[in-house]
Amino acid sequence: MSKKSRSRLWFLVHSWLALPIWFFVFLVCITGTLATVSQEIVWLFDPAVRANAPDDDAPRLGYDQVLAAVAQQQPQAAVHMLSAPSESHFALLARVTYPDSSSAALYVNPYTGVIQGKVPLFDFRQFTRALHGWWLVPFTHGFSWGWYLVSLLGLPMLASLVTGLVVYKRFWRGFLKPTLRLRQGARIFWGDAHRLMGIWSIWFIAVIAITGTWFLIQAVLYDNAISISSEGVPTIIQRDSIPLSADGKAPPRIGLDAAVLSAQQRIPGLEPTFFRLPSSAYDPLHIFGKAWYPLMFESAQVNPYDGSVASTRLLGDRSGLEFVTESMRPLHTGDFGGVWVKLIWFVFGLILSMMVLSGLMIWSKRTLIATAKQLKQQKARERINVAATAETSQ
Amino acid sequence: MSGNSKLRRQWLRWRFHLSALLVLIPLGFMPQYFHEAKLDRGLRGLGEREIGNLQVGPWTARMAEWEVGEPEDEGRAGFVKAFTLAFCDSCSPQVKAAYLRIGQPRSLRAAGGLFAGTPHQQFAEVTIPARVTPADQLWLTVEGWDGAVHQAQIPLDQASPSLVAWLEKTRSNR
Repeated sequence: MSKKSRSRLWFLVHSWLALPIWFFVFLVCITGTLATVSQEIVWLFDPAVRANAPDDDAPRLGYDQVLAAVAQQQPQAAVHMLSAPSESHFALLARVTYPDSSSAALYVNPYTGVIQGKVPLFDFRQFTRALHGWWLVPFTHGFSWGWYLVSLLGLPMLASLVTGLVVYKRFWRGFLKPTLRLRQGARIFWGDAHRLMGIWSIWFIAVIAITGTWFLIQAVLYDNAISISSEGVPTIIQRDSIPLSADGKAPPRIGLDAAVLSAQQRIPGLEPTFFRLPSSAYDPLHIFGKAWYPLMFESAQVNPYDGSVASTRLLGDRSGLEFVTESMRPLHTGDFGGVWVKLIWFVFGLILSMMVLSGLMIWSKRTLIATAKQLKQQKARERINVAATAETSQ
Repeated sequence: MSGNSKLRRQWLRWRFHLSALLVLIPLGFMPQYFHEAKLDRGLRGLGEREIGNLQVGPWTARMAEWEVGEPEDEGRAGFVKAFTLAFCDSCSPQVKAAYLRIGQPRSLRAAGGLFAGTPHQQFAEVTIPARVTPADQLWLTVEGWDGAVHQAQIPLDQASPSLVAWLEKTRSNR
């Protein structure tokens, strides 16, 4: 095959990769883009989510004070999780259950302890994630087939990136000489826009396609009961380390603040963002947070009776493979460096969505003609071959 | 013939936009999504099917079957079924731990699945041993902070008729 017809073939492959499913790809890109900033969108529309300080120098409450404030406002509520978003403009979130077995996620002001509201039944953040991540198809046994449907798109996206770069000869020159011709017709404009957006988002498309493909691999591994986790069995507090009580009452437990101090001695710099309170007499208090590496959580399991650290899960406990695989999710969602990283992901998500649209525009103006031409040429070649064989056989 | 080519023209025109039909999937699942969101908020009560009140030693507890239906196949862990429990308000501070198992436990160490959760709703999973029959019982073992251990039994057909139905079905196939 000549060099020219080979690049022609690559071009056709590139064109046909997304085309038959362009609308689906486009919607997945759009919903994913929305999902990156869904928390911020909720913040804009629901004042209960905001962490407004009563005045400029009001200190944030300690975690024990927060729990005390919740208990005072809702004595019946049993808190089992508390999350303190690392972005300080968000309210704390306390997950509670009530005596009638109903549950709620409460927004708690970190300065005053006031319960400002609860997560509504239509949770925009969760809804966009579910729509983007698994097309709302419920999880029954193992991963939902919607998850497969969406994560399969990682493969054509990766292939689109590679073939796109092969087709766009000397694409690096596009960085030095950006071209966007506005006045030479729609086809030229969309072509220029597609190439220009494409080369500036090579890194982003690669990140999304690779992490998206990881989600596919993750589901396949899980559904086939293959584990790559180096995490052992859950930590339990040993029976003999639980103090006996003479009066038949539960022994006193340490508070969250003391547990954090204890955890920080073992994991210097640990900034707690998430607590899971003991769910039984044998369950430790789980503290999750990030130290220096923004993509992964470290955790300490603290004995609630004596404050000792029963176990930890540190960066160094992960295998090399886990370092890669556990970094995949935050890289996909962009929620690892505050609002600015999210905004970068949002903008590039929009660009990626526009790549799909501009690709469609180019195709509708050009690819059909190119395909017809290629087929014609092939037929012509075949005719020549047939004629040639006919001649030689005579 | 002309009708056919008209159809063909429509197909040629719209074939690449057919993936828009995939939107029907999330639209179709939307009611189920909100139904499950409601269940997540505990609107199902303690569990899908209340078993009733249970006296175990000095304490009373409410128990429920978390989901009615066949037990879940957890691969190497075997088949498991989840039950939920809540002790009375004055009982829970006195209770250290509660365990659930099918058949009489030989010791406290083998008392079965540990209940975990909040005082208002605790979950335990029991594994379904291969030799279980519908005539077996569910044993609830409760350990108090004072060191006392109390037990109560619930016949399987009261605890979970759906489990008994599944047992009868699978056991008769052997």
